Amino acid sequence: MKKTLQDYKSIIEPVWCPGCGDYGILVSIQRALLNLDIDPENIVSVSGIGCSGRLSHFLNTYSLHGTHGRAVPTALGVKAAHPELTVFAVGGDGDGLGIGGGHIAHASRKNVDMNYLLIDNQIYGLTKGQTSPTSPLGVKTKTSPHGVFEDTLDAIPIFLSYDVSFVARANGVDPKSLTQILMEAISHKGMSIVYILSPCRTFPLLDAKGLKAILQPLPEDHPTDNKMVALERAYSDQPIYTGIFYQVQKPTLEDRLQNVITKVCDNTNGGDKYSLDKVLKSFA
Amino acid sequence: MKEEKNKKGEARLMKGNEALAEAAIRADIDAYFGYPITPQSEILEYLEREIPKRHGLVIQAESEVASINMIYGAAGAGARVMTSSSSPGISLMQEGLSYIASAQLPCLVANVVRGGPGLGTIQPSQGDYFQAVKGGGHGDYHLIVLAPASVQEMADFVFDGFRLAEKYRNPAMILTDGALGQMMEKVILPEEGSLKKVETPWATTGKPASRDHNIITSLFIQPEKMEEVNHELQEKYKKIQSEVRFEEIQIKDAEIVLVAFGLSSRICQKTVDLAREKGLKVGLLRPITLYPFPFKRLNELAEQVNFMMSVEMNAGQMVQDVKLAVEGKVPVYFKGRMGGMIPTPEDVLEEIESVLDNEKVLQD
Repeated sequence: MKKTLQDYKSIIEPVWCPGCGDYGILVSIQRALLNLDIDPENIVSVSGIGCSGRLSHFLNTYSLHGTHGRAVPTALGVKAAHPELTVFAVGGDGDGLGIGGGHIAHASRKNVDMNYLLIDNQIYGLTKGQTSPTSPLGVKTKTSPHGVFEDTLDAIPIFLSYDVSFVARANGVDPKSLTQILMEAISHKGMSIVYILSPCRTFPLLDAKGLKAILQPLPEDHPTDNKMVALERAYSDQPIYTGIFYQVQKPTLEDRLQNVITKVCDNTNGGDKYSLDKVLKSFA
Repeated sequence: MKEEKNKKGEARLMKGNEALAEAAIRADIDAYFGYPITPQSEILEYLEREIPKRHGLVIQAESEVASINMIYGAAGAGARVMTSSSSPGISLMQEGLSYIASAQLPCLVANVVRGGPGLGTIQPSQGDYFQAVKGGGHGDYHLIVLAPASVQEMADFVFDGFRLAEKYRNPAMILTDGALGQMMEKVILPEEGSLKKVETPWATTGKPASRDHNIITSLFIQPEKMEEVNHELQEKYKKIQSEVRFEEIQIKDAEIVLVAFGLSSRICQKTVDLAREKGLKVGLLRPITLYPFPFKRLNELAEQVNFMMSVEMNAGQMVQDVKLAVEGKVPVYFKGRMGGMIPTPEDVLEEIESVLDNEKVLQD
């Protein structure tokens, strides 16, 4: 039977504030999954804490709600146990660039075949309006009543220097292009990060109109395999580019573990008598 | 401690940490995630070396925080998973353990305890008793805690730990120490493949259309629901009490009972011998499970003995549970060393004699 968007909608209704950018992002994810015809039962979404961390509850997939900042290692655990599943890690700017930022580098080194959706609203929304690592310099929040005195973390250059094998920035209020980028990310074999700008309506630092004014798609001839060009365009703030900055093929965690097994078995047993696939099937 | 006569298989001389690691492979773990820390790095090293030749996955995580969350993910996906660390690393895992306990997932964590607080020392200690048996992280939860006293038990309790963790869908901990981890003893390893895999219908394994949409979570935003979940957990902990295990040595005619677990119980076993040579009727009760704790048995014994003494490598932690158990029926004394120091059998005997002298003075 042909699937519809309904198949990806959880029985749990989203509880975000009216007008939240996350609604559009949720629909874009659902649409991307529908377009790629991935069975909802073969998806696990892992989330951290925060507004965007609730997203996994609203997708009709298997779901694991983890600890604050640890969606990435938790998703690695799921993927290690069940490599056949499509695995999402979802979190916000606090989760992924504050408390949990350190995990991204190491998941990238292993090139875990997961899709990390980092949804940035520049504020701690669920705790009601405190400074986040991406709150712009000088803006006033509840924890920076005299203006943020720290510099803003620039996420895309960080992911590029971690050599994440798929790095994209997307406008959360442009569902058409977001869906397209998500489809590319999900199809990518290896770790993908889609860094999504999403306006918070309750503590507005970004708005749809403002985003539209500062964002611009990467040039059509942008070479996604050239990291230096990617870095240069990642650092641009006028305009701020959206689209796929960088994409390379590297062995995934699964490939790497299989290589170790093959190497060890070649040396000791004189052949590949044991495969990762077999191991994983044994406990599926 | 007792020789297990029915054990089959070849005896090997192994380090405690390696016996534990080998037992993990034989227990058919699907994955191990860990981070190096003395005095337990041999566990990760052994598994990194051996697992690729055999079965399962092993990944060195970027931190203990990452390890426990990888455990959370893999356990949620229905895999048999384990991690290990030593005291400071176990502290880092507490948030994750609280979530795992709340989400009711099975896993095994070994804590090869070192002296603290803080970064402390790499020498053996039992200073993490409170952390292990009272929950350790936030909220009302418990780990199932097993305390091995020999290299043999370092291996056996991996099987027992998984059996209990999977039966109750609750994290289990092997609470051991740096000395048991590092020392070599004879061990007959459990038979590979003898620990059956359990069904995991609750896991995020990918569902046929007929299955329910599983969500692994510890978030229950409605307080009524959260209370319900807490009741469910507390009911489970009540059931777990039936799994209490302890060992008694020369208890039958004992007038003085030493209570000690793990390495301390090995020391006290010698104290019992020394005391008996002097005509003192000393016995030993060794809790094997620290959670559940043998409250009932200690309460019964309080009817028979003159006093009890808890012997620990800490400032006096389990002694509080012994006092709770005896309900004031008899005095409960404490002998301990801290910071990685180990009491000798003679130290303990001296403490017993000093209590007896004091009592004599009081009687005179």
